[in-house]
Amino acid sequence: MDNYVYMITALLPLAAAMLVFQVNPYHALVIRGMLGAIAALVYTVLGAPDVALTEALVGTLLAVTLYAVAVRSSLVFRLGVLQEDLSDAQDHIAPDVTPLQQVVNGLNTVFKDYHLRVELISYFDRDALQQALMNKEVHAICERGSVVEAREAIAPGVPDSSAPDSCPPPYRTTTRLRRLYDIMNSELLSSKTQLSYIDHAAAGEVVS
Amino acid sequence: MIDWLSYGCIGMGLVFWFWGTSFLLSRRSVLFKLHNLSVSDTLGSIAIIFGLLLQRPREWPLLLLAILSLTLWNTMLGYVLAYCSSTDVNTRRPPNG
Amino acid sequence: MSFLNLALMAMIVALLIPLYEAWRDEDIWQTMLSLSSVSSKTAVMILLVSVLRDDWMVGVAGVIILSVGNAGFMLLAHILKRLGDS
Repeated sequence: MDNYVYMITALLPLAAAMLVFQVNPYHALVIRGMLGAIAALVYTVLGAPDVALTEALVGTLLAVTLYAVAVRSSLVFRLGVLQEDLSDAQDHIAPDVTPLQQVVNGLNTVFKDYHLRVELISYFDRDALQQALMNKEVHAICERGSVVEAREAIAPGVPDSSAPDSCPPPYRTTTRLRRLYDIMNSELLSSKTQLSYIDHAAAGEVVS
Repeated sequence: MIDWLSYGCIGMGLVFWFWGTSFLLSRRSVLFKLHNLSVSDTLGSIAIIFGLLLQRPREWPLLLLAILSLTLWNTMLGYVLAYCSSTDVNTRRPPNG
Repeated sequence: MSFLNLALMAMIVALLIPLYEAWRDEDIWQTMLSLSSVSSKTAVMILLVSVLRDDWMVGVAGVIILSVGNAGFMLLAHILKRLGDS
């Protein structure tokens, strides 16, 4: 056995440790490709070209692509919004100033740490929005609170009440998942939305 | 004689590899690294395979195939990576672009 | 210790550079760059091992890996790009 065989074999646990300790799922996918390439090299050096071919074709090509599709479609936070709000946001010249966009930007910065991406799904009216939340089509909905409701919520000393110039009433984000509510409640800094959590089973509502 | 030529080719390819890969460690833009890396990797790999071809001239079809696929795929992968990584640097393209 | 052995050692050292770059993660595209570097380097190393041992089955495997393996990375690059767009 030659000396270089040991050195090449030592590369395999190195790459595997890199893969295991990687927290970002997309980086981990790319490192999985590297691990596949190095594994093919090791198998070849150890005298199994057929295994190396299988590793390169199935393990690297097929598995990485399938995992990429799976990670992309599962690590997503689906937020239902109303069609009118969305078109309202798109009509503006500078989209950063609309409140909905601010809410979405805030959500994006919060969920970036959790490697989730925020996907907006638009519905035509509020009933469809509520129904989508109940049917588990979306993880949360974000709608304009009605004026009376918003006044009520603002009244007991929420800091947003000191800004009467923000004409549109604040949005209300309702989620049906406790974990998402906890994350948003502790980290979301946007003042344009209020958060509430609705328990799907009990249908009781907890408003913060 | 021909052994020394092949060793020279392999050594030159190794120098290309190290030179191009060392740019990965610098803090330049992705496109700069991509350019240096693809050029030096492709040229270095071709030089190494050519050196191997001088060592074993009997097996030329396979090594020629390796050189051809290396040039084609590496240039194509370089273009694809440049296209994919440059969209968030430039202004946003239209969705169908 | 022949020259090809030494060259293989140098290649292993060269392979460590993109691995280190991928470990020091900053941007996903830099990781993709090091992935393409690693994959072409390993394929060339397989070819060198095949010449070193005069074993031609290994060479065939190396050439197939070299010519087919890159297609998956282009697919992965496009998926990652779609991810950044949305």
